[in-house]
Amino acid sequence: MIPRKLSLAAAVATAAALTLTACGGGEPPAADSKTVTMMAPYLGAQPPNTSGAVQKKLEELTGKTVNITWAPNASYEDKTNITLASSEIPQVMVVQSKSPGFVKNAEAGAFWDLTDKLKDYPNLNTTLPDVQKNASVNGKVYGVFRGRAPMRTAVMFRQDWLDKLGLKAPQTVEDLYTVAKAFTQQDPDGNGVNDTYGITIPKWGALGTNSPYDVIEEWFGAGNRWTERDGKLVPSFETDEFLEADRFIKKMIDEKLINPDFATFDSTKWNEPFFNGKSGAIIEVDSRVSALISLFKQANPNDFQNKVGFVGNLKGPDGKLHAHPTDGYSGFLAIPKTSVRTEAELKNVLSFLDKMNSKDVSILLNNGIENVNFTVVDGKAAPVTPETAESKAVAEDIKSYSQLGTNVRNNEFYPVKQASDYEQKVFDKRTDVMAQDLKSAVYNPAAAFVSPTYVAKGAQLDNIVADARIKYLAGQIDEQGLKDAIKLWDTSGGDKVTEEINKLWKENK
Amino acid sequence: MSQLTDALTSKTATGNGAGAEPGTGKHGRSPGKKPGKAPKIPQGRFSVHFAHYKWLYLLLLPGVIYFAVFRYAPMYGVSIAFKDYVPFLGVNGSQWVGFQHFEDFFSNPDFPRLLGNTLILAALSLLVAFPLTIILALLLNEVRLSILKRTVQTLVYIPHFLSWTIVASLSFLLFALDIGPLFQFINGLLGTHIDILSGPNWFRPLIVLQDIWKNTGWGTIIFLAALSTVDQDQYEAAIIDGAGRFRRVWHITLPGIRSTIIVMLILAIGQMLNTGFEQIYLMTNALNRSVADVFDTYVYFVGITQGAYSYSTAVGLFKSVVGIVLIFGTNWLAKRFNQSGLF
Repeated sequence: MIPRKLSLAAAVATAAALTLTACGGGEPPAADSKTVTMMAPYLGAQPPNTSGAVQKKLEELTGKTVNITWAPNASYEDKTNITLASSEIPQVMVVQSKSPGFVKNAEAGAFWDLTDKLKDYPNLNTTLPDVQKNASVNGKVYGVFRGRAPMRTAVMFRQDWLDKLGLKAPQTVEDLYTVAKAFTQQDPDGNGVNDTYGITIPKWGALGTNSPYDVIEEWFGAGNRWTERDGKLVPSFETDEFLEADRFIKKMIDEKLINPDFATFDSTKWNEPFFNGKSGAIIEVDSRVSALISLFKQANPNDFQNKVGFVGNLKGPDGKLHAHPTDGYSGFLAIPKTSVRTEAELKNVLSFLDKMNSKDVSILLNNGIENVNFTVVDGKAAPVTPETAESKAVAEDIKSYSQLGTNVRNNEFYPVKQASDYEQKVFDKRTDVMAQDLKSAVYNPAAAFVSPTYVAKGAQLDNIVADARIKYLAGQIDEQGLKDAIKLWDTSGGDKVTEEINKLWKENK
Repeated sequence: MSQLTDALTSKTATGNGAGAEPGTGKHGRSPGKKPGKAPKIPQGRFSVHFAHYKWLYLLLLPGVIYFAVFRYAPMYGVSIAFKDYVPFLGVNGSQWVGFQHFEDFFSNPDFPRLLGNTLILAALSLLVAFPLTIILALLLNEVRLSILKRTVQTLVYIPHFLSWTIVASLSFLLFALDIGPLFQFINGLLGTHIDILSGPNWFRPLIVLQDIWKNTGWGTIIFLAALSTVDQDQYEAAIIDGAGRFRRVWHITLPGIRSTIIVMLILAIGQMLNTGFEQIYLMTNALNRSVADVFDTYVYFVGITQGAYSYSTAVGLFKSVVGIVLIFGTNWLAKRFNQSGLF
């Protein structure tokens, strides 16, 4: 009997919901200045608790009722596009990248142009104008960028394997090859079987997404997505260095120094072969160092040190360091005109965002709640031990709430105090290495520019080269095939993209 | 239910009879049940007819509303295939561009590849998976031990209830390079190195195999139902005439379910271009994309992930038009060969 009652209740609820949406569909109610609606991705297994401590504290600190629609991170891009085409648009939207869908809408006037407005808000007036420019659409700022440390690239390797084989940490790409070869062929785990790979690369093919391929190509000097050659910007993949880098990667793949299923290997399993002793190195952002150390620590709290080693970017064959930085931001918070209609409402929303970027809220979003899940020790946030149900809940929630943080005036929250002296030492070393590499960073000179042709068909175009790159590495096509694909990129509209990007570049020089 | 059938039968009877014998057919029935009702509405024939069957029409109403609201109203959105749709401007605010998106699509180098991939995959599933369903149903039908038949039937249904995500994960586990058990088995057997998951030549066989594994058992349901209606007397007569099992299947069973096969075939052909987005999307990677991209995955990739709604709507619309042509074509062919078509 109970199920029947339940289904009846569900039917009634659905009917009620349908009626409600039907009423709301026509004309959105006048904006209530006490409430702000937002949309953001969540990174945990579940969206954060909407009545949790973090939410309460956030509303208390900002003085607003904050309604957040959480969408899973994996499908967030789809969700953004679909939301933009719907009638239920939030007042503040986290936009993860300048996707063609976003740019098209922005240029049609869907979002407020904030170029001249942000400087009026003390917490939104950025101290990183270059990053703000990178995040703009040809100089027009359509959102408050979410700042990220630009230098994050690291090579992580099994320190115990390296020590066992008597090798040194790699400094150049040749060193990387030597280490990968030794990890593969010299039985670093000492089990007498030839069952290890040097490096793991997951299925991660798209161009310009900070993938291991992008990183290695930049180390070789191919530039970061775009590069200046003879006073003109060209795509990185049209340089000789790009081919040279891919030849280098292919050599490692052919010699089985890289996992052979790199084209299908799921990136969520990236840590596994490293931890299980199947593979010895990973090229990715340096925060993975901490994740790997915790894995070893969880498995054996008495013997986890010196399992994970790392270095920053590697020197290319020319002996120079071309370090790979990101554009310094990870998407932005945009304000749709459909939901924020007047300048007065915009001011209201901007002052809310200004509060969101104040030191207090920044600490809440990134560190959590003081004395609940962390305490301040020597200017660092130390997690409370032992964990309580409350502290766990807050720690889980801020994984997602931190997505709302913008940090356009650099990080004002506390750095996290690491759990042990060893981990603190590694963390400090990471900070140092990245700061050092930042001096040699080679940025994307076209980061701020969006060409109309690229908006129309850029992603399909890029796919031609991205797929060809993987095919070449897997041995399905030869180097001529890769070159042909790059030619095809040119003739199918790429030439026009290059022309438009150069025009924008010259205009903004 | 039986009342409804009665009413429906009488509807056709009246419709036919009205011309031949005006009045009699109707008045023979109506005055008895509701005296005086029909004479009160002496207007046109339709209103008489309508008044008489108003309760039946009322029963029809929810269905009509459902289709009008949820099936026909959304077709308004198809108009964005002929516009340069920008969500912010809305369907009405966006500019008309005529057949621009269709022209772009047909002149795109992707077009022949997509069409080829879609048709080949569809043809494979039609030629391999569809007959297998019938063969399995025939085999099951020959099993005399009822408990065995039921058990096998239930077992072959089970894969149908697994999602494509699970099927794809299973395939990845079984065929994973170097470590998958089936990978090791096949390569041990052949002594060569075959990468089934990313080799472009293996994509189509893999998709068809997955499809067979997952759906063949389920597909037998309708054929088994049809098989149960075949006249048992004919078998007895055939046995007396000395027909073996194969003869009986060939001359009695198959003709007995012929019309079901035709109807299922027409339906399958209508669905031909719907190549199963999920399955293909999950099995696609950079190395096999050249044979894997079909209309459905392309529409998702271009439309949803890149926000090119108009273009992908045009692609989807093209696919639907081809689907309709195929349905009508097969139906027409079926009728030409004196079979009962779908409509």
